Amino acid sequence: MLAALRNRSLSLAKSSQQTWNQQLGFRWLNQSSSSPLSTWTSGSDDEGLLNLQEVEKVLSDVKADNVTVIPVGEQCDWTDFMVIATGRSTWHVKNIARALAYKAKQKQKDIGAQRLMLPSVQGQETGKWVVIDSGKVIVHALDEKARDYYNLENLWSSGMSHPEPVQDLEKAFVKVRRKNNSKKRVITRV
Amino acid sequence: MIQPQTHLNVADNSGARELMCIRIIGASNRRYAHIGDVIVAVIKEAVPNTPLERSEVIRAVIVRTCKELKRDNGIIIRYDDNAAVVIDQEGNPKGTRVFGAIARELRQLNFTKIVSLAPEVL
Repeated sequence: MLAALRNRSLSLAKSSQQTWNQQLGFRWLNQSSSSPLSTWTSGSDDEGLLNLQEVEKVLSDVKADNVTVIPVGEQCDWTDFMVIATGRSTWHVKNIARALAYKAKQKQKDIGAQRLMLPSVQGQETGKWVVIDSGKVIVHALDEKARDYYNLENLWSSGMSHPEPVQDLEKAFVKVRRKNNSKKRVITRV
Repeated sequence: MIQPQTHLNVADNSGARELMCIRIIGASNRRYAHIGDVIVAVIKEAVPNTPLERSEVIRAVIVRTCKELKRDNGIIIRYDDNAAVVIDQEGNPKGTRVFGAIARELRQLNFTKIVSLAPEVL
């Protein structure tokens, strides 16, 4: 399976960059072709970790549905891009993660790194929500239910102004005072 | 420093409001839990009409502690409250949003899911 994928990916690599951007519909990418992306496409500073284009390619090869790339560089400082993809089944979600890990391993071997630095994969056992954390790009592979439930696009694409969570936060920390049932009159000091 | 019988706030919208630690997962005779540790907890107080109920036993990850967290570069982080995020057996968070600031140590401890739901990462 993976060998087949790899062959396909090699053949795809020859096709132009532009076609895949159109295929996958990366609206954000085309809009924001400014500084953060251009530094990424140069791709010199990543030490064998997957960059955005490789992630996109792997995701298109394994036929992940509904791929969304969100640049989050200005909202948070711990990563640059969130990639969210849907898998059709738990098996498919697990396979997305495995393909990405395999790609990272291949890249490391091609570079000839002394020791392999693989992305950390979380949630591989259940396959509902698998996170592949490769430094500057974080890939979330979810099944459809989990994607609806967690609604990550809404969280990250709307910017950092979350009016609802702030209200929830206020509610979360409010302690309800017990009702005073005693008949004694409450003495208030003046 | 979270130990059995410590009460914690809940930093997500899972529906629980207050937890009590009853066990620390990791070693047989562990005394204290810190940021990033998984605990077994009882829900002491819950929001009405939510899937989680009072006196339910759940797992949670500690995300904030009053005890200070020291980093190698000399930064010390100390929060005003002890707070945890409810997770299930597989490590997926029960809630969909995390509230408040979260330490970036959680990412190294393989809780990237919680970090990616948080509004602020210290």
